[in-house]
Amino acid sequence: MISVKVTDVSHQFSNQEYVLNHINLSVPEGSIYGFLGPNGAGKTTTLRLILGLLKKQRGSIEIFGKPFEENRIEILQKIGSLIESPSLYGHLSAIENLQVWQKIYQAPDNRLPEVLKMVELSDTGRKKAGQFSLGMKQRLGIAVALLHSPSLLILDEPTNGLDPSGIVEIRELLKKLNKNHGITIIISSHLLAEIEKLVTNVGIINKGKMLFEDTLDELLKRQYQTSAVYFDTANNQAALQLMHNKKVDARIEKERIVVPQLAKEVIAELNRDLVANSIDVYGIRPLDNDLESIFMNLTNN
Amino acid sequence: MISFINSFKSEWLKKKGTVAFWLVIIGSFFIPLIMTARGLFYPETFAAEAKSSFFWQAGMNRNWQLMAFFLLPMGVVMATSLITQIEFRNNTWKQLHTSPQSYPVVFLSKLSVIIVMLLQFFLLFNVGIYLSGVIPSLVYTDIDYPQQAFPFKDFLKVTALFFIDCLPIVAFQYLVSLQFKNFLVPLGAGIGLLIASLIAVQWKYGYTIPYTYCPYNFLALRPSNGGAFPAVNIHYMALAYFVGFTIVSYLLYITKREKG
Repeated sequence: MISVKVTDVSHQFSNQEYVLNHINLSVPEGSIYGFLGPNGAGKTTTLRLILGLLKKQRGSIEIFGKPFEENRIEILQKIGSLIESPSLYGHLSAIENLQVWQKIYQAPDNRLPEVLKMVELSDTGRKKAGQFSLGMKQRLGIAVALLHSPSLLILDEPTNGLDPSGIVEIRELLKKLNKNHGITIIISSHLLAEIEKLVTNVGIINKGKMLFEDTLDELLKRQYQTSAVYFDTANNQAALQLMHNKKVDARIEKERIVVPQLAKEVIAELNRDLVANSIDVYGIRPLDNDLESIFMNLTNN
Repeated sequence: MISFINSFKSEWLKKKGTVAFWLVIIGSFFIPLIMTARGLFYPETFAAEAKSSFFWQAGMNRNWQLMAFFLLPMGVVMATSLITQIEFRNNTWKQLHTSPQSYPVVFLSKLSVIIVMLLQFFLLFNVGIYLSGVIPSLVYTDIDYPQQAFPFKDFLKVTALFFIDCLPIVAFQYLVSLQFKNFLVPLGAGIGLLIASLIAVQWKYGYTIPYTYCPYNFLALRPSNGGAFPAVNIHYMALAYFVGFTIVSYLLYITKREKG
């Protein structure tokens, strides 16, 4: 089943250029969906449209199989969200902030200490939220989002401003929520490395257009398919000819020979052949094509 | 209805410890405290006044005189703007608008909190007036309690009229505060209109300015002040402005393209 389905959504502010252009997005139930893109790509605008914070101009948005606009209140009862910086009342303590939302969501009293414990803010006492560090504010923002035990959690760059240990903590918390409670999570970020250890599905957006949407496994496959090996030789033309004779799909790029990812044994054999044909080999190295590079390639193109 | 009650409770919690909260508490006792001090420092004058059969009306007039022209409208301007601006200041509109509440409920619960705070202010102010009339007698044993029985009905009537006369200020400040992120905009608009209303009280058509009704109501209490009284019923005018501003405010709020 699909938790969130965005179909052909476009959006523009005033008469400016479209910030979202025919966006399609599909978040499977129970998944952790990484919504990636550089700053200004349209991630926050998409999430704000999903949550009804922006008026939809074109396309359709369905959540839990129902159109959002017609079922706004029913749908929002099952969604927890944290959009950009946390929304907290600075003059209230952590528990008072939760009480404000408890009245609306009608969450039971014992849920308040529970979520505070979950985000490790149980011992903040009467300290005002305005005096919290950024990490504590982010965690309290997540506690607010979790207060009513939502089935869908929408988090817009929740690790912004957190130190490495804070990022790991949030990641572990989200994994636990997804695994133990089956909560579907949409998490946006501009850093793939930050969420690649967390997500099951990935959507990549740039300049208002979706560039990729599939499972993380598919992205990993693409990584393998697009990885390559560089050969730096004394005579690239002769080396290229030799490789073509051996049915290796090689090409010259920036005064180097690029061949697709090969088995280690085949690389060694090619090296032997080049040396045997009096072609000096100065270097063989794999093309640096990790997930981050794929992300960069997709977004740069 | 349940949704509105829950929303109201939530909004009520948000004002805890805010400047608006303290403004109501301190503002309501400020003038009565000065009047109490007057009674304590000038016991002979107080003793003479306490024998009057119009003691409480005189006390009420003294208290309202200082309150009606500037302090009350100014307090309403500030409290309304501060309460409404809580969401802008804390960047919480987006969280509020992604909670399962209808937009009318959010709009009305916020407005209701401001109105209840106004009622709270009037209640405390009247308690303060009463205390300012009895504390000197408690401190100085030789001064008798006021001979006149406390005129509940008069107090209730005057307070109810001042409450109605404040409503256009509440509605207009609410309208402006919901639209502008910058706190100075509603505050500036409120102070500007307040000053204009003080000048306009003597003007023939001063009643057209919705911030003039508190001073007019006070002048109606003391005709000897020689104010230029409008030919229209200012309380109906106040109610009409309140309804009008509230409707416009709601339409602007509901049609906002960006809700956080």
